Amino acid sequence: MEPPKIWRERREKYLALGILCQECKRKSFPITLYCPHCSSENISELKLAQTGKILHFTRVTQTAEELMLYAPYIIGLVELDDGIKVTGQITDTKLEDLTEGMKVRMVFRILSKNGEEGLIGYGFKFVLI
Amino acid sequence: MSKLGIVSYGSYIPKYRISIEEIAKVWDDDPNEIISQLQVFSKSVPGPDEDVATMSVEAARNTISRWKGNPQDVGAIYVGSESHPYAVKPTATIVAAAIDAEKELTAADLEFACKAGTAGMQMCFGLVKSEMIKFGLAIGSDDSQAKPRDPLEYTAGAGSAAFLIGKERVVAELEGTYSITTDTPDFWRREGAVFPSHGNRFTGQPAYFQHTVDASKGLMEKLGTKPSDYNHVTFHQPNTKFPLTVAKMLGFTTDQIDISLICKNIGNAYSASSMLGLAHILNNSNPGDRIFMTSYGSGAGSDAFSFSITDEIEELKSYPLTVEHYLNNKEQINYGKYSRYKGILR
Amino acid sequence: MSKREVYIIGYGITKFGEHYELNPSSSASQALSKAIQDAKISKDLIQSLYFGSMVSNRNNQSYIGGKACRECNLNIPITKVDVGNASGAGAFHQAFIAIKSGLLECIAILGTEKLSDFVNSSTLEKILGGTIDYQWEFEQGATLTSLYAWMSQAHMKEFNTTMEQLASVPVKNHKNGVNNPIAQFRREISLKRFLSAKRISPPIGRFDPATHCDGSAAVIIASKEFVENHSEIERKVKVVGSAQSSDKISLHHRETLSSLLATQITSKKAYEMAQISSKDISIAEVHDSYPIGEILAIEDLGFFQKGEGGKATVEGKTQLNSDISINTSGGLKARGDPFGATGIAQIIEIVQQMRREADKRQVDDIKYGLTQNVMGTGASVLVHILSNMEDDK
Repeated sequence: MEPPKIWRERREKYLALGILCQECKRKSFPITLYCPHCSSENISELKLAQTGKILHFTRVTQTAEELMLYAPYIIGLVELDDGIKVTGQITDTKLEDLTEGMKVRMVFRILSKNGEEGLIGYGFKFVLI
Repeated sequence: MSKLGIVSYGSYIPKYRISIEEIAKVWDDDPNEIISQLQVFSKSVPGPDEDVATMSVEAARNTISRWKGNPQDVGAIYVGSESHPYAVKPTATIVAAAIDAEKELTAADLEFACKAGTAGMQMCFGLVKSEMIKFGLAIGSDDSQAKPRDPLEYTAGAGSAAFLIGKERVVAELEGTYSITTDTPDFWRREGAVFPSHGNRFTGQPAYFQHTVDASKGLMEKLGTKPSDYNHVTFHQPNTKFPLTVAKMLGFTTDQIDISLICKNIGNAYSASSMLGLAHILNNSNPGDRIFMTSYGSGAGSDAFSFSITDEIEELKSYPLTVEHYLNNKEQINYGKYSRYKGILR
Repeated sequence: MSKREVYIIGYGITKFGEHYELNPSSSASQALSKAIQDAKISKDLIQSLYFGSMVSNRNNQSYIGGKACRECNLNIPITKVDVGNASGAGAFHQAFIAIKSGLLECIAILGTEKLSDFVNSSTLEKILGGTIDYQWEFEQGATLTSLYAWMSQAHMKEFNTTMEQLASVPVKNHKNGVNNPIAQFRREISLKRFLSAKRISPPIGRFDPATHCDGSAAVIIASKEFVENHSEIERKVKVVGSAQSSDKISLHHRETLSSLLATQITSKKAYEMAQISSKDISIAEVHDSYPIGEILAIEDLGFFQKGEGGKATVEGKTQLNSDISINTSGGLKARGDPFGATGIAQIIEIVQQMRREADKRQVDDIKYGLTQNVMGTGASVLVHILSNMEDDK
């Protein structure tokens, strides 16, 4: 990943941020300039809930080069306690140990490394509670 | 005058463990002999998606969440480590962004072998005391490397501990700190080298023991205290035998040091070692307790601290992600997985 | 809407598979030149080329249409249409609109892809990452396969769809593919083999995904007036419906994973345009890049009740010459999936069927045929309806 992208996305990737629309009061993820529900510009930053439950999960064996170091890994669709749904890895676990509905907590992990000399991409993943 | 001291604390230990027995098997060593020498049974291993930055962030977030304060009030972040993910690009900046402390703060990465974290604590105490900042976050974090078959391989573990220093709602008041520094080449890693080198037995008497004893004695002399004044003590833990020996040399009892000895299960967490001991002690301490800590960093130096626990400690003890939680949250891996996770297999 | 009628007057297609010896532009020009020959018209009558390709720019030649036109000695406007891995149908839809508008009379449409150059499958996974939410799905670790795994799980949970029902999709498609001379895989694969394969992304097994391969497909379309004015045109198939719609690109933003909303909306628009209903369709080429893809398609296109797709498939209701013949070509699964070429290849299969050129996979009494091409996990879906009816209603 290139420096401007890592820099631009650091807050939302590290902190898992969405928006709260001040007009329609609805939450959404990720950060956008306009509320995706009512198109209002009157929005504020929202820190997403740090815990949630697994709706779907599966294993990833083949992926981009910069993620292959971590494969096979588990990718999950997680519904956070505030109702927002996000896609994220369930790390420190194995497929056999997971069932739908399990509670998870957000953690800070390496998402990808740009070769031996490039930048490291950090972001949120989940671990079982 | 308001108290100066530790306002909150947080820790992190990765989930994976490799046993001494498993490593000994690879090299046809006698595990019982090694275990009895080191009194270490297993060591912690970070997952492939972890490094010093991720472990620092977890410890820092636990510190901030336990404190329930505003991360924007953190005026300094220092991360002490000898295994920063970048040679140039501070881990402290990543921590700052990940705990939402950007951008009005000072920050730096520190390196002093295994005592860079406690050096960061001293810097924070100084900045807070001089009122240059309101709160300072000092982190000790390491994912230490050891050459396969080097004796270090049995103990080089990983972990992270963080302390928030300030003057409001202090849980452990700083009674004093005192340091020793000499040019002692017991352990080193040249720029660009992957694995550290060391002086084997030379790392003991003239290095670890001399500095730890001198700093500890020096602080107790300064404060007019003696080992029996303290409820708990923590030292740097390259193995379990060294801190037990140094405790005895100084006149501390096994009861006083016992809680701090996390090395048995996670090995030597380097910059986080004595600090994880302190975090574990804090979570098991009571108002009025007095706590002594002396770190050791090769190269070499020691920082000694004396703390007195306040009533505020009770508030923080209920936070769920404790050293104990991380000690219990573990999964054993074999040497093959270990090699992969540590990047030895390429 | 414009009443102007649009016909497919010729097609050309290469064999799908691994053609290491072939340049990307040679593959493209082969299909294009065959299509022109098949239309029997002078190539000078072709006014424009629309080409669909997702990956061509990764072969360092994004404007493959330009090279193909030089090789076919054409000097016409060339436009690349990008609807990800549904770029073929995307190009067709744009060309259809151009004829409908009255501005153009005769257009060549080309779908082309040369995927065997990417010997490291990580490269293609990353390219396909662009068809899903790259930042919040792909970079988070999701891949197209893993997202289709979630959709399979959702369908299995909601409708008790079984592994056997899912596996019966590629079993049938491989059976059909045996008789398709351009298919990459012309052999049957047993249900047992599908079911006993390792689950790469549970419930998706190793043999479930369609393979990414090389291939080019081209068609020539023209207005009714053009066809009437050129008696050399021998065979024509009418395009009675062409529609496209989209859905939220990320699965975490969708209400349900057990339906493709975009397929439902697009097919509704296409049926309306054709003034028919799903019951009038006797043959369909649908996007079976994963087994669940075909099950979702046959439900969301209205051929079967929601939740009945798996059951219908296992009961043989989608076999050749049954209730509705689905993927007589072998589908993406047996034919192979050269992304941009797939949408055109689907249309060509229907044309071949309507022209009764499908040999052993020929379906009888076809009135209407439909194609469905999906980008990513359904962020964009295109549906085309062709008619075999000699006279207008």
